Amino acid sequence: MSAPAGLVKCVVWDLDNTLLRGVYLESRPGPPPLDPAMASLLSVLGERGILHAIASRNPPEAARYAAEATGCAFVAAECGWGRKSEALARIAAGLDIGVDALAFVDDDPYERAEVGAALPGVRVLSPEDVAEAVDWPEFSPAEVTAEARRRAGLYQQRQRRMAAERSFGGSREEFLRACGTEVTIAAATAGDVPRLHELSERTSQFNSAGQALSSASLEEAIRSRAQDVMTVRLQDRFADDGLVGGCVVDRRQAGVWTVPLLMMSCRAIGRGVIDSLLGWLTRAAARGGAGVLQLPCVLTERSVPLRLALASAGFRADPAAAGPGRALYRHDLAGPRPPRPDWVITPEEP
Amino acid sequence: MTGPDGIPGQELALAELRGVLAEVTGREELRAVPAGSQLFGPPVGLDSLTGTRLLREVRRRFGVDVAAEDLNLDALATLATLAAFVAGRTRLPTGRQ
Repeated sequence: MSAPAGLVKCVVWDLDNTLLRGVYLESRPGPPPLDPAMASLLSVLGERGILHAIASRNPPEAARYAAEATGCAFVAAECGWGRKSEALARIAAGLDIGVDALAFVDDDPYERAEVGAALPGVRVLSPEDVAEAVDWPEFSPAEVTAEARRRAGLYQQRQRRMAAERSFGGSREEFLRACGTEVTIAAATAGDVPRLHELSERTSQFNSAGQALSSASLEEAIRSRAQDVMTVRLQDRFADDGLVGGCVVDRRQAGVWTVPLLMMSCRAIGRGVIDSLLGWLTRAAARGGAGVLQLPCVLTERSVPLRLALASAGFRADPAAAGPGRALYRHDLAGPRPPRPDWVITPEEP
Repeated sequence: MTGPDGIPGQELALAELRGVLAEVTGREELRAVPAGSQLFGPPVGLDSLTGTRLLREVRRRFGVDVAAEDLNLDALATLATLAAFVAGRTRLPTGRQ
């Protein structure tokens, strides 16, 4: 079994003879009890901010029973006879994460083989494996923040928000306003470092540097007079998502603001966060006397959403500075700059 | 991809793209949006989420990977530029033969 390096964000569980000790549809007189070892792993992993989902051949009642019996807020339950690899792909798409951020636990070697063959990035485990695997680095984020622990509840609130959005007729901006969206941009303090480091480690779609930034580097940038570290917090009437994004600004080059890292949690996608941050950066850089705002960006097939946000905010990739898999995005500050929407709260702006 | 005789490829792409826009944004009124409408600003107002859905659908329906071919996504300037970009790469009929 090969174990790819990235962190697992969600574990997808089978029910019969995995989470449950027995077979749901054959159990008499009542449904089978939970497997106590698996149930305790659910809470251990949940404490680390890892999400749980279900992929089962059982009817949906079985998933509801497992949710009640474990007290666990499963973020998705796929019940049916289709391929489990397809169920996992839908779960990943619903959470806006890659399938390589999933682990899959099933007692049936056929199901494990099917998922392993179709989705080689998934960590495929038997119930015996998973007890040991919880100590692997991919199940062990270095620091678990309060926000990470609350993540399962936030995903459920997100599902309610998505349901509201489907029945909403207006534009996205009108929807954000109707939700009471509030995006708050502020200078980072030392207390924000663990969460910022965690974000830099967990973000892949919205991580301009394509890599994590150490806590030491973040602390140094916060202390430095020539650098700024900014945080972005998000809340609306459905949920307080807390710290969902941030960036580092380097002002050491005269007339140029460089952003070595811009990142956002993918759960904040579609809620105006990245556009708010890019808009603030262009206004702050212009106020700070810079002529150019630039952002080196690692390009992968997963960075399309970030490229869309950059294009929408008026950034252009400089073809002269492009290399394989990288581009230098620039915003000429003499041109028009996006205004601040009234639901975005920023420092030093009226 | 071929269309009925006499309908230029760009017109076909436009019609289909309007439907895609309505689907990815959940806004039915975009089925009637003018060809010259910008996509990032009003009235369409694409963001990174709806933009990603749009590009995914364009790749699925037309086999055109805009993100791979267009670093700055200039094709997304307006609905008409996107239709021209797509039509130019899918051998849609260009008019009555």
